[in-house]
Formats: sequence, structure tokens, C-alpha cells
Amino acid sequence: MSILPFPSFLDDVKEKGFKKAIFEGIDDSVERLTAGLNVQDLREAFRGETASRRPNPRLTPHADGFWLHMRPSYFNRDVTGMYPTFRLGWLSSYFVFFETITGILLMLWYTPSPEIAYGDMLTILSNVPLGQLMRDMHRLGAEFMVAVVAMHMMRTWITGSYKKPRQFTWFTGLLLLVITGFLSFSGYLLPWDQLSLWAVTIGASMAEATPVVGDQVNLLLRGAPELGANGLLRFYLLHVLALPALLFVFFGVHYYKVVIHGHSLPPQKENIGEDTAKRVPLDKRVYFIPDMLTYEMMWLGATTFIITVLCIWFYHAPLENHADPQVTPLGTTAPWYFLWIQGALKLGDKFFWGVAFPTIALGGLAMLPYLDVTPSRRYSHRRFMLTIACLLISLTTILSYMGLAKFAVQTSAETEIVHELTFEPAHSKVGVGRTIPFDQMIVGAYTTDQLHAPDEMSANDMIAAFNAEVMANGQFDQMIQELKDQHLGANQLPLRFRAIPAAEAPTLTRVMEEFEHHLAAAEAIELPNVWGALVITDNQGGLKRLDWIVSWDSVLIEGGKVQVDDSGAPILIYSDQVDAEGNPIPVRRIYSDHLFIHEASAYFD
Amino acid sequence: MNLLFIRSIEGRILMGITMFVGMMILVGWVAINEEARMQSFVRQHTGRSIERGAELYASLCSECHGEEGFGAGDRAPGLNNPHLFGFDPVGLQTTAITTANRALVRINKDIDTLLAELTDAQNPPSDTRQNEILAAIADLEAQIDEQNANIETAIAERVAILETLDTAVGNGLFPLWDTVVDIEQTGDNEVEVFFNSNGTRLAQVGWAGDLHGYVVTTLIHGRPGSANVYPNSTGMAAWSQTAGGPLRQDQIEDLAAYILNWDKGANWTTEDFIAVAQYGKPLADGSLPSEPPPPPAGDNVLGILARWEADAIVGSAVSGEMLYDQEFGCTDCHRDGASAPDTIGTFARVTSERLTLPQFAGYSFEQYIVESVTRPGDYVVDGYSSGLMPTNFGLRMTDQQLADIVAYLLTQ
Repeated sequence: MSILPFPSFLDDVKEKGFKKAIFEGIDDSVERLTAGLNVQDLREAFRGETASRRPNPRLTPHADGFWLHMRPSYFNRDVTGMYPTFRLGWLSSYFVFFETITGILLMLWYTPSPEIAYGDMLTILSNVPLGQLMRDMHRLGAEFMVAVVAMHMMRTWITGSYKKPRQFTWFTGLLLLVITGFLSFSGYLLPWDQLSLWAVTIGASMAEATPVVGDQVNLLLRGAPELGANGLLRFYLLHVLALPALLFVFFGVHYYKVVIHGHSLPPQKENIGEDTAKRVPLDKRVYFIPDMLTYEMMWLGATTFIITVLCIWFYHAPLENHADPQVTPLGTTAPWYFLWIQGALKLGDKFFWGVAFPTIALGGLAMLPYLDVTPSRRYSHRRFMLTIACLLISLTTILSYMGLAKFAVQTSAETEIVHELTFEPAHSKVGVGRTIPFDQMIVGAYTTDQLHAPDEMSANDMIAAFNAEVMANGQFDQMIQELKDQHLGANQLPLRFRAIPAAEAPTLTRVMEEFEHHLAAAEAIELPNVWGALVITDNQGGLKRLDWIVSWDSVLIEGGKVQVDDSGAPILIYSDQVDAEGNPIPVRRIYSDHLFIHEASAYFD
Repeated sequence: MNLLFIRSIEGRILMGITMFVGMMILVGWVAINEEARMQSFVRQHTGRSIERGAELYASLCSECHGEEGFGAGDRAPGLNNPHLFGFDPVGLQTTAITTANRALVRINKDIDTLLAELTDAQNPPSDTRQNEILAAIADLEAQIDEQNANIETAIAERVAILETLDTAVGNGLFPLWDTVVDIEQTGDNEVEVFFNSNGTRLAQVGWAGDLHGYVVTTLIHGRPGSANVYPNSTGMAAWSQTAGGPLRQDQIEDLAAYILNWDKGANWTTEDFIAVAQYGKPLADGSLPSEPPPPPAGDNVLGILARWEADAIVGSAVSGEMLYDQEFGCTDCHRDGASAPDTIGTFARVTSERLTLPQFAGYSFEQYIVESVTRPGDYVVDGYSSGLMPTNFGLRMTDQQLADIVAYLLTQ
């Protein structure tokens, strides 16, 4: 007898011997932990054998255990392959947990304050081992999650799985899609860089277009008339608290409905109007333990492996410069999954396209199962709904394209061209002008005019002729004045143009060729008789300054459009001076922008 | 894809384990490379910080501190300045003199020891020993001459260097010269005396922290008293938002990174001292630094209108159009009425619609436009977002430019 008032392990040892007591103890613990499966049961399951004892112990965890009671104990073989689910629902759930875990890790180093947030990003990238990987994964996972959830919805539409009795499942799924969008969007602001601030400013300005309460909604969301400390805190709380809470609630409801109704079978596998998902014939049953469990574990490993590979070699979360409400970057767009709204906004009325249209679209989607009450799920019987689905996909694609900065937003050609060459890293792209290796930035003034030299003329002759021309007509002086206005040091102003050192600086040459290429495209209408120049100067040790200059004859612009005469040539604006032959001289316009490049910045890597 | 739907359970287990192990190997591989990656990120980030600082410096600081940091005459000190970075132009010579003096002390001590042994009455040295001692003393005396020669050479070099610096001092290298050097007392050695007590800027102002802290503090708080030192200075403003200026803390750090990047460490030369142009040094062509640029218009609407009246400022629609389309890029948003009110029809719209609103009672067209440009947040036309238009146009335009733009809009 034990000295304790209850039987103990020592009693077992006394009674059965040490080895047997240990093994039985382990067996017992395993059975308790798995809520029903002992070591032998597990061994049989993972060897693919049938269970040796009855009742089937592999069903017990679904009845007795907390975690597996949420999962069906068997699936229909017809829904376990690629088709018809494409595993999109499983992937959506995967990303919910993936984002939660990586998100919590990132929270350890993040403070939602405009003064600190951006510095925290830099700390994560510069002083947290695996910090960059974690941030890349969280960001990439977010992008994937939006895409996967949207595809999951379209798949449900296409296979007609929203039909009776799954109308409410569809509705909760739609809520999850909206929550996913807002989750991703609210996370966009948190790094507090230019990309975040302006993408979110555009998105949040739509709230303002709400009738009657627009200003209040806007104020509630941003915490102030403009995004600032309060706005960031609110977006942060939405991102880490309110939206995840909603997401988990509706995720629970959604999945509960999925299990209650069963996974809908491929449309052709059941009779029209019938729903046999819950009546799985014995020969079609694929048990969760061990089949689905091993599938899911394998997918878990494979998906995480793929994301890891992507984040190591192919994707890095963007981080632009510190948010600056005073500087609007050229070509700001909303996140890609909201581009369709931005595109719609370009069609006209801000309230209709920015608020009413998305609401109607989502409302229509929510009501879909109640509008389309035809019983058949067969593709051939659903041509109308499938056509609508295709139209919806096409419309979203077209609207998203229209949302891009290049669509219907005109900036003057010279600004656009110089921006194209010099923009700072954004969306994993960088202006080609920044990619010139540091040792190829050879001090001097270069012009694109050199590049349309006739074959028989050498570059040096061309440059000499060009120098003589621009010195005589005052265009060079105008450029010097522009450079002075842009605070280029008096000792650094160029005296003349020189030929591009093609042999020592191939990348520089290529950039100048691209510059010329852009200018040539705009020469006919917007920039008559244009030439471009690049002036490279030393600024500090390891720091160069690059001034990009565009000089052209000014044209008549009305309402943002260049005015052309009957022959299609642009109408020039003339000054009151005349040249030697008595012809009026067009007013010469000049535009410049400059950037600094530090040796260590490594834009060219 | 078939790989992901392996029908055999062993296949799935094997595949899953391979993937997990593969992922962990990858993460481990990333982890061991993290140190190097983080270091290279820091380097890259510092580089970009310097670039942003350069941009800020060119637009905000170069007017007074000079485009290349040499100062702009009588407005503000040069920052590309060896004195700021604590470069001692006679450091090598000073070290040589100190070393020689130490050697002299040691040699004299050795001689004393030998003499004591030679003249010891109680225990006189043998003849051989006496000869040895005398030879040693002669050797040490030769060393004394050598060290004295070293000192003389170093002093001569030092004098030569300090003389070249007279030019820089004459150019006003040290604005507080008169207060720190008492010429009557120090006479010809004033430069030397100065360097002995004010060798670095930090020592001169009695700053106990490091240079980065000094630069950052100055940027944050400005130098309200600098007008007393630089005759044409209005006193450096506080630049940080902390102290009511326009810059965020990260921008202050960018600027500091740029300024500190002027440091040449051991490679400063006396030529760098001479290049500094501060305290009214004439430019190379003999001219004095140019007039300060006209002040910005600011955002005091009635004040601007009053100045137009007083200074008889008349706008030009032609240059206004250039400014509107190009310099300030107003047309980028003010077109087609999509994101901001269309430029076309401004005059009609303002006079017939806006000015009839009660809050604009008594406004002229000019006042309405000036207010719209300099204080865009005060009133936003229905249907457009607030906060989109930059609020700093008043700081970027002169009175004349603003008048030009108003003149242009009058024609629209």
C-alpha cells in the first residue's frame, strides 16, 4: 500500500515492475493528451493501418477533445483533392494564424506613435535578428491573405456553393472578406512611411464622402482632421484588437456553418436540388485521423516553406521615407486591393463612386444567395451567374487598372520624366538614375543631345557644337541660373558640357540613353526642341549630387492640355525678342530636380 | 501540384517533414547571416539619411551656411570647418615638442645620476669607471642637442603653419576672436594662444558632450544670439518641431548625419581652414556676399495684402502662370476638378459663389485667393478632402510670387 492516501506511480511500480509501469504511464498520458488515442492507436494511424480496437479510437478526439471537436471526423473523398475547393478556405485559415503569430512577434518592437513608429521599423530591420524576415512574412502573408480570401469567394460563386442551405455561410464569408481587407489596410499605416501615409490618406478620404456624417466618420477614423498621432493609434488598435476580434468571431461562425452543412460537393456529383454533403457513403469517407491530419500538416510545412523561400529571395516588405504630410509623392495609389475603388473614383462623383458604388457592390454580393434561388448548381444551368462572375472579375481588373497612377492622371511631361528616372525606392522599384554605380558617377555636365549625333559626327564634335549653340542662345546661362536657384555651390557650376564617358561609365550612358528616349517621346507635342542634361558634382566625401535638367520651348497650355494648331503642331509661346533673321524666339522653359547619392546607399545592388 | 495531394500517408509524412526541416534550415541560414545583414542595413540607412540631410541642407541651410558648407560671409559660420570637427592644425608639431621635452627631462635625470656617481666622495669610482661615466655624459649631451634641434624644427613648422592660418583668422575664422584673445597680452603669438585654449569649437563654447549632440542641440533650438556675432544674421531659428520649427526629429537626425559627414578625420589640412568663409570674408572675386533673399510671404493674409499695398507689389499673370504650372505644380491637382477645384473658371466661381457665402463677407478676390494659398486648411470647398493641399506654400513663396499667382488666377 502506498503511504499516500491515493494510488501512486510507486504502487504501480511495485505491482507491475518498473518497465511496465513506465510504459503504461506513457500510454496513459498520451491517451489523455490526444483525448482518446494511445501509443498503439497513433502508431497504427500513422502507419496507414486500420484501427485494431473497437469502437474506432480515431473518432474519440472529435467527440471528447476541445480542438478536434471543431473539425469533422471525416470528409467526402470528392472534396479532398485540388478541385473543387482549391484549398482556398484552408489557406485563408492558415493565413489568419500565420498573420497572428508573425504580427504578435512584430508587436514586441512596435510603438504606435508618429515619433517612434518609423524608428521602430528601422530597429526591426537593423537590430532585431530575423526581424526583416518576420516583417517580410507578415507583409507578404497579408497580401496573400487578401488574394486568397477573394479567390475563395469567387470559387464559392463559381461552384454555386452559396446556394441553400449555405446562404448564411456565404454572408459570414463576405464579412470575413471585408474584415480581411480592412485588416490589411489598417496595417498599411503602421510603418508610418510615405507609402503608408498617402495610401491611407487616399483610402480614408473616401469615408469623408459619406453623406451627412462624412465629417464625423472621418474624424472618428483619423482622430483629427489629418492623420497624426491619434489616427495612428486608432489604426493600430483597429489592426491588433478590434478587427482581429471581429475576424475570429466571424471565422468561428463561418467554420461552424461549414462543418454543420458539410463541404459542398462538386456540382456534378449530386442530383439537382439535393444537398448530400452530410451523407457521406462509407466508401467515400476520408478520416481526419490520419488522412486529413497528415495532409494538413504537410500543407502547413509546404506553405510556410514556400513563404520562407519567397521572403528570403523574392520579396521584401517596402519601407519608404518617413511619412511627411507636407510632401505628396507623385503617383500615390491605394493598396492594390482597393485600386478598384480608386479607379471608380476617376469616373466621377466622389460620393457615388467612392461610397455608394462599393456599398452597392458588397450589398449585391451579400444578397447573392437570396437573389439567385435557382436550385441547380450545375455549370451548364448557371450560365447567367457565371457570366456575371466573369464580368465582375473583368470589371474589377479594369477598375483596378484605372486606379493606377498612370491612368488619367496627367503630370507635366518634364516632371514625369525626371521622376521616372529618379524616384526613391517604392513598391520594390527604384528610379534608374539611382542605380548608377557610385564610381560611374563621374563629375561633369552631360547632355542627351549628344545621343542623337549623326553617324559621321563624333561625340566630341557634337558636344562642341552643342556647347557653342547653347552658349550663344542663352540656354546654358538659363541652366546655370536654375542650378544656382537650386543651391548648387558656386564653385561647382559646370563651365560646359562634356561627352559622356561611355567606356568608364556604361550604366551612366545607359541612363542618359533612357533619359533621351523619354524626352524624344514627348518632344513632338509637350516639349518642343527639348534637351536634357545631367550635372554630376561632388558634394561631400562619399556623396554626389545629380541635377537633372530639362530645357524646352514653352507651349500654350490650357486646362492642362497642350494646344495644337491645325497641322497638329503645338502652339509655342514667343518672347518679344527676335533672332538674327527677325523671327520671334520662343520662350525657353527649364525644369530641374536633383538628388543626392551616398556611396553606402547601395541603390544599385 | 500533385505533390501536395500525395495519396500515400508515408509520402505525406515524408514530404511534410522535408518541408519543415527545409524551412528550419533556411531560417537558420538566415539567422547566422543576420549580423552581417543588419550591419549592411545600418550602413545603407546611414547613407540614405545623409542623402536626405543633403536635400534638407540645400533647401534650408545653404542660404546662410553656404552651399558647400563654407559659410556665407557675414551670415552664419561654415560647417565644413576643421575647427568644428576639432582638427588641430599644429597637432603633429605639438606632439613632437612634447615628446622632445619628455626626452630632455629623462636625459637630464640620467646626467644627474652619472654626475652624482662621479662626484661621490665616500665611494669614488675607479679610473676606468670615471672614463666610462664621462663618455656616457658626452653621449647624453649630444642627445640633448638633438632633442633641442627637434624642438626648434617643430616650433619653426608650427609658426609657419600658424602664419598661414593668419589669413583664415583675418577672414573671420573665429568670430569671437576679440573676446578670447587678449592681443595686448599675447602679442604675436595670438594664433598659438588661441589654439592652445580654443583648439576645437566644442572646447571654445565649453560643450561637455560630443559633436553629434552639439549639432543636434543647435538644430533643435537654433542660435537666438547669433545676430550678435554675425552682423548680417537674423539669428538662427529653432528648426525642430519640439521648439516650434518645421522639422521632425528624424529630419534633424538626417541633417546632423549630413553635417557630420563633412568630417575628414585625420585628413583635414590647413587649406581647409582657409577655405572657410565666414564673418564677412570677401568672395574670391572680391565681392561681398550677396543680399539676403526676400523673405517668404508667410500666412498672415491681411499682412501680405498690406505689404502689397505698401511696397506697390503688382503681380504678373505671365510669370504667375509659370509659377502655377511649374514651380509650385498647382495644376497637378487643380485640373478637371477631380481632386481639387479646377483652375479654369476660378475667377467666376470665387466671385459669384464663394464670396457670396456669409463667412467671406467683405473679402476681395485677392484676399480669398491669398488665404486659400497660404492657409488652405481654413476653408475647404464642399466635396473635396481637407489636408490634401500642402500648408507651407506661404513659406515657399515670396510676396511677389504670390501676387503673380493671384494675377494669373484673375485671368482664369
